[in-house]
Amino acid sequence: MTMARTLARRLAHGLVVLFATVTLAFFLNEVVPSDPARMVAGAQARAEDVEKVRRELGTNKPLAQRYARFLRRLVHVASTKAAPDHATCAALGPLHLDLGKSYQKRRPVVDILAERAPRTIALAFTAVLVQALLGTALGLFAAKHRRTLKDRVTVGSSLVATSAPTFMTGLLLQLFFAKILGVLPLDGFGASFSDHVASIVLPSLTLGLYGAALYTRISRDEMVTELGRDYVRTAKAKGAGPTAVMRHAFRNVLVPLVTLVGLDLGALVSGAAVTETLFRWPGLGSLAVEALLDRDGPVLMGTVLVTCLGVVLSSIFVDLSVHWLDPRARNEEPARGS
Amino acid sequence: MKRRAPSYSVSRVPHVLVAGALALFVSLFVPASLSGCQSGLDAPLPAASALDAPPKRGGILHLSSFGNIRGLDPANIADGLVSTLHQLLFAGLLDFDERGEVIPRLAERYETSQDGRSYRFFLRPGVLFHDGTELRADDVKRSIERALHPTAPNPFASFYAAIRGYDTFSKGKSEELAGVVVEGTYVVRIDLVEPDSTFLALFAMQVLRPVCKSGGRRYTDDFVPCGAGPFKLKEYVRGEQVTFARHEGYFEPGKPYLDGIVFTFGVNMSAARYKFQNGDLDTLRDLTAGDLLAFQSDPRWAPYGAYDRERQIMGEAMNTELPPFDNVEVRRAVVAAIDRSHYAKVKPATLRIANQPIPPGTPGFDPDLKGQEYDLPAALEHMKRAGYPYDPATKTGGYPHIIPYYTYRQGVSEYTAQVFQQEVAKIGIRLELRLVSYPTYLAQIGRRKKVPVGPWGWSEDYPDALDFLESLFHSKGIAEDDASNVSFYSSAELDRLVDDAKHELDPKRKKSLVSRAVEKILEDAPFAFAYSVRFYDIHQPYVRGVKAHPVWARNVSFVWLDRQKDARSAAFLRSPSPERTRGLASR
Repeated sequence: MTMARTLARRLAHGLVVLFATVTLAFFLNEVVPSDPARMVAGAQARAEDVEKVRRELGTNKPLAQRYARFLRRLVHVASTKAAPDHATCAALGPLHLDLGKSYQKRRPVVDILAERAPRTIALAFTAVLVQALLGTALGLFAAKHRRTLKDRVTVGSSLVATSAPTFMTGLLLQLFFAKILGVLPLDGFGASFSDHVASIVLPSLTLGLYGAALYTRISRDEMVTELGRDYVRTAKAKGAGPTAVMRHAFRNVLVPLVTLVGLDLGALVSGAAVTETLFRWPGLGSLAVEALLDRDGPVLMGTVLVTCLGVVLSSIFVDLSVHWLDPRARNEEPARGS
Repeated sequence: MKRRAPSYSVSRVPHVLVAGALALFVSLFVPASLSGCQSGLDAPLPAASALDAPPKRGGILHLSSFGNIRGLDPANIADGLVSTLHQLLFAGLLDFDERGEVIPRLAERYETSQDGRSYRFFLRPGVLFHDGTELRADDVKRSIERALHPTAPNPFASFYAAIRGYDTFSKGKSEELAGVVVEGTYVVRIDLVEPDSTFLALFAMQVLRPVCKSGGRRYTDDFVPCGAGPFKLKEYVRGEQVTFARHEGYFEPGKPYLDGIVFTFGVNMSAARYKFQNGDLDTLRDLTAGDLLAFQSDPRWAPYGAYDRERQIMGEAMNTELPPFDNVEVRRAVVAAIDRSHYAKVKPATLRIANQPIPPGTPGFDPDLKGQEYDLPAALEHMKRAGYPYDPATKTGGYPHIIPYYTYRQGVSEYTAQVFQQEVAKIGIRLELRLVSYPTYLAQIGRRKKVPVGPWGWSEDYPDALDFLESLFHSKGIAEDDASNVSFYSSAELDRLVDDAKHELDPKRKKSLVSRAVEKILEDAPFAFAYSVRFYDIHQPYVRGVKAHPVWARNVSFVWLDRQKDARSAAFLRSPSPERTRGLASR
């Protein structure tokens, strides 16, 4: 199958998944017995004030009407953004994306997402980078020294790191690097690029340490398998050195690792709520949690949409990468084990 | 033949090695964490001058909270945190002094008509907004109409329903609020439909405070906060931080003392403590229970901390429309069955026992009132009179059905629910705890004939006992949905007493009516009062002029900094901070 056909098929599947997820999320959010207007007005607001807010938000209208409105404006074509009806739109030429206005923040959801998503994507990429590099390096180290003390200590340590909840790792990193050593900021996002870089280190490390263990385990096991294969024996017989052998075998370990990277990216784009909250990193995770707690429907739908899009795109990335890395996949043969 | 990939299971890792790795991890991090624990509080950073030194101008005050705000428009207040910030930005015609009494601020003085239906406010000439324009009477009218217009998402609008013409204005049937009359450049009159003893306190709150002309005649979401308060907005990074600079045109000469204030949102408690000890934050309010006890028990820090007055009441609301709480004897039994000291044990440094509807920090609180008391024999007797006798020895009898009790995870309600469950079990009432999300809980508890019993409470909206009595117990608070009177308690006598107190302008007579209303509530027992929550504020010694205010939490408008130039912890000097790179951070 050609790359283009694979891509087209995956995109079509992705669109169906996107539509189904967003629809399901919309109805799930609506059937939960709670009232967004009450959350906006506050626990002590009087009934008449809550009713006023309800009318203003439009949550007093029937469910079907609200869903129809949501779908109608989600993606639409318009000639201008100046009209009041399009004040909450993001325009890509004549194509408009509109998720409405946040009940709580009273800003267009597309603006909020545009502000938050790049921060979460940056955190996701750096965290996956830490996970993949650290985890794979440890995995290769363990594989090279398989069934020795070094192997066992490496794998054992990775188990400990992954067993610690992220908030605990994060608090300890804050204490050590920010409070005691004073070399990194405790939390925050900062105003300049250098601030952003300094501020992203600890949250990335927190997520990276947590996720690295899986890469260690997978890369080690896969590498041990590869090192036992015939082609490795042949290479050794032909006089290839240990580094050359490792490099040769590593190419075959890449496929599961790339798959894992793709899946992790998809998961992290939805935001790492605990880590973002702990480090005051203003991303999608903390936004989604806030929206959920406040029953801020438009923001919630926006985060669901972005998350779903992240997962779909990362899945496509995985498929295409495997397609490119593994010739067997290109010939529609089972990817592994045949 | 295909070789099987070696699997690496946990069981194959020798336990001693896992333990070794764990020990390595612990040895690396635990000493570090202990060094930062309660026993290792850094010393306070000293002040430069003696205590009686006059106020100094200059410096930036840094504050934080783990909470966040929705916005900074007084016409859209719906979170507890924002009042601290509004107090900096928006000054009112009236305010509260340090005893909680209403005082004129932007108004030079005010007059009340004989019949109590009209208030005339005389503005100070020369008061400037942050944009440099002068405050006039028409700005006051415009700001009031802006905040009370039906297009404003103001959740407090109906509190001002006593203003003449509110009814038609709030329904959009008139463009002007008839009861707010401009009588001259500096004179504005507010007419009420009936005398209201709570009006001045309500008017001194922040909702109707004047905003600059840029705020327009109607609320919009894009208003850049601008008022006549001691500080003006310099930068607002939504969800992250707000920065204020001194309003040089503030009407009180020489004030405020600070050059500016930086308030950071969403800071977790441990990070806030580290920042505070580093000198990166100057005051601290969000404390873990352990940190709170550490600061209180450390003699170096104890002089710099104080509790706010308790201005909220919490307890168990019993739905008087649903069995078994439609029976007054059952309600009396519950009230007498609760040993309130057990509630306080849930969070000893923060919760205080309460046994009456008015919290200690609110005018109208009677410290000599006996209130609701723990009396188990009396509780059992009430159960007997209700027709549900219970024998604690054999644990037989009592109410035959299990009663659902709705509660939620936020705050301490999840834990106090378990206390309540155990307390009422002593009189033969069995509760099934149903833990739901806060939004679900809020929707359920205010719905008529839905929740038999649940945790509920009230935080002071304005400093007057009637805020509590009217909201929690007047039949006006009953609605099919979104009731504030979640006991759905209705008593013509109580309604009359509360209404009379509201219309009574003589303080003595009002006090007597409030006392009788409280007695009636204690007699009918729709609510078991249990505890109030108090907050502890601590500041560095160099923050001067800090006084706990009876109404405004963290009232820092007129504090000043008296910091030694080199008084910074070593960690502060090393630690990079994104906040310090922003505009105002000058130290």
